[in-house]
Amino acid sequence: MKRNGLLFLVLTLVVAVCADRAGAAGTIRVAVIDEPPTLDQHVVTSDLATMIAQHILEGLYTFDSQYNPVPMLVKEEEIRDDGKVVALRLREGVQFHDGTDLDAEDALASLQRWGAHGSRGPVLFNNLEKIEATGKLELTLTFKSPFAPWKNLLAFINGGPVIYPKEVVEKADKTPLDPSQYIGTGPYKFAERNVGRYIKLARYDGYASRTEPSNGYAGKREAIFDEILFIPVPDVGTRLNGVKAGDYDYAEQMLGDLFDSLKEDDSVKVSVNQGANQGLMFFNSSAGIFKNNYKLRQALEAAFDMEPALQASIGPRELWEATGSMMPSTTAWYSTAAADKYSQNDAELAKKLAKEAGYNGEKIVLMASTSYKIHYDTTLVLVKQLQDAGFNIDHQIFDWATLVSKRADPAQWDIFFTHHGFVPDPVLFSFMSDVYPGWWATDAKAALAKDFVETMDFTARKAVWDKLQALLYEEVPIAKVGDYFSYDIYSPKVQGLSESSLIWPKFWGVSIQ
Amino acid sequence: MFAYIVRRLLSMIPSLLLASVIVFSFIHMIPGDPAQMMLGDMATPEQVQELREAMGLDRPVYAQYFIWLSGILKGDFGTSVFFQQPVWSVILDRAETSLFLAAMSLVLIVGIGVPVGVLSAVRYNSKLDQAASALSMFFASIPTFWLGLNFMMLFSVTLKWFPTSGFPSVLASGDWTNLRYLVLPAVTLSAPNSALIVRLTRSSMLDVSHADYVKTARAKGLSEGAVNVKHVFRNALIAVVSALGFTFVALVAGTVVTETVFSLPGVGRLVVESLLRRDYPTIQGVILVVAFLYMIINLLVDLSFAFLDPRIRYS
Repeated sequence: MKRNGLLFLVLTLVVAVCADRAGAAGTIRVAVIDEPPTLDQHVVTSDLATMIAQHILEGLYTFDSQYNPVPMLVKEEEIRDDGKVVALRLREGVQFHDGTDLDAEDALASLQRWGAHGSRGPVLFNNLEKIEATGKLELTLTFKSPFAPWKNLLAFINGGPVIYPKEVVEKADKTPLDPSQYIGTGPYKFAERNVGRYIKLARYDGYASRTEPSNGYAGKREAIFDEILFIPVPDVGTRLNGVKAGDYDYAEQMLGDLFDSLKEDDSVKVSVNQGANQGLMFFNSSAGIFKNNYKLRQALEAAFDMEPALQASIGPRELWEATGSMMPSTTAWYSTAAADKYSQNDAELAKKLAKEAGYNGEKIVLMASTSYKIHYDTTLVLVKQLQDAGFNIDHQIFDWATLVSKRADPAQWDIFFTHHGFVPDPVLFSFMSDVYPGWWATDAKAALAKDFVETMDFTARKAVWDKLQALLYEEVPIAKVGDYFSYDIYSPKVQGLSESSLIWPKFWGVSIQ
Repeated sequence: MFAYIVRRLLSMIPSLLLASVIVFSFIHMIPGDPAQMMLGDMATPEQVQELREAMGLDRPVYAQYFIWLSGILKGDFGTSVFFQQPVWSVILDRAETSLFLAAMSLVLIVGIGVPVGVLSAVRYNSKLDQAASALSMFFASIPTFWLGLNFMMLFSVTLKWFPTSGFPSVLASGDWTNLRYLVLPAVTLSAPNSALIVRLTRSSMLDVSHADYVKTARAKGLSEGAVNVKHVFRNALIAVVSALGFTFVALVAGTVVTETVFSLPGVGRLVVESLLRRDYPTIQGVILVVAFLYMIINLLVDLSFAFLDPRIRYS
């Protein structure tokens, strides 16, 4: 009896080994680095959550391949009173995954929840006088004064204003939505979350696609796969081996050190994400040694040599750009204003400025996290540079949750390191918020920031941004390390993906041979 | 025996209560905020505070403890902050992977470790013994992540015999062929553990083989095989079974590296990931369940001694 049982087990395994290893027909298997806490885009800014949710949930606007905001659920717009009033007419015949039709009440309720509880909602709603449904398919936003970034804010769905049915958001509050409430207008609908194993999306056959040619995230969205599986695979070696073995079709975030060899590897294709991340050192403007001491911050800025830090933390030259522009060179916001202050690598100047600033070797607490290898590697290099320039750096290392907790208390730190994901409009930078840790809130910033959001003409707005960037190098609330680009790999059988993605990889318009 | 078992089970209650206090206190002493981790980097302090209130994290820690404890007594382990699911269902889901993996690994560990250990002891100082010792040291020294990745490269990428990673549920699908996902992880886990069991079996056998009663058995003219099986091996098993018991629990809850390499949704990974996410209810629930498992396995190991050695009696 025991022998039969053992034989059964062995035979089962042998049969299984010979079983078909390919994924189900019409399914793409995407190996992702982790599981997102929620897909509710109103409240979370996780890039992973957005990569998945963008297939389910749509906003009023989206971005084309040049990062221009273009209509998504909106059909047309009318701007009145020098930009104070914006009337948006929604597309007809757009259906939610629960079968109900999209109308202005849905958009109104969604925007109101995002404004009240959303991570980025207050940026828009603090400037809003009123918002109302002025027709079955018409939504009107009235701003207190002209507000230039409104369209970028409505297009950026990461922590952004995706549209849910009114019935869903009316019942919702500040807590993230339940998976059963992930109801959107996208080409895929939420099917299942199997904790620890996968998130499954299924094609929505009632999807009302735009008809313009596909362009970035804009235009036609064609759901070719029956299903998309997002599978958490935390180990990068496993994600790589999984694609090579045929267990996954796409894997995100490979190691920089493997970039050159994978480019030459015929068994995989490489896709570089053009939505640059950037490493940022935040100075404590609210308390401690840097409070109101711009010269001391400038002294530290003068000591930095960013290229070695980028080489050590990222690796191949194609995956980083040592630039002093706060916005990447791929955007119209690219600026060289005061960028000569970036990466000066001048220890003598640093010592001179530090002396003028009254620095006498006091301890400077610099916090970084080992939860992100890039954070730790970057700060190892930069701390050495600061020490060589005569600064007494106390390099404190924590896991990310601890660092986030500690940085909320201005008394506990002087500098912390983090990275910032791509944003389409500088107003979305975390340091533009007065309440983000670092607490940069000066009169000069406030005046320029007001001018920045109220200037409607792009050329004039860009000129204001140049001034803001120059102010960043003068008051030094942050020190930018550089831009860096993650990259993903996929099976050569996957068709429809390009050599680069804009911000998050997308799987509509994609098929497998 | 029955009274002994009941006494042991009752003694677990204060131990579990103590464990619950320690786990709860330690976790709440670590800096970090589940609400902040849930909302992400851009959330304002007000938004984080709103969510903290909604989750009950603004209450005093002792109040949170008693709410949690009263829930446990009613069979409610709370709701996972991260997964937004009952903690009990999250643990059950992960337990499937871990129990199957531990069972398969244990079969390999016993199947390899015990016979090789016995052979090594019986042929003490022979070339076979030296080779077994060398191999044991080798496998005990190899990091499991390195071994796992190399197994994956060979058996999954090159030979394509086994999947690289993941584990679709056997219980939910009824598909027992899904066990193929656990073959490479089980082999990876069994390598260092088998090596330890080889060493332990060998040394226990050698210790027992010098005992007076073994010399007496030989003097009485029993064959070497009979002496080794009936007198040496059986008595040496006490140490081995004890080690296997704790190895099993360690395989259930402490295989985070192997679970990460093979992307298995197991208990070990759940503990570490929940800790990094500050998912308090999940960490507390898992650790309490693992502590209970330790106690049960410990009891079973103790009871097994009575069967292995008739001199041991529980009353």
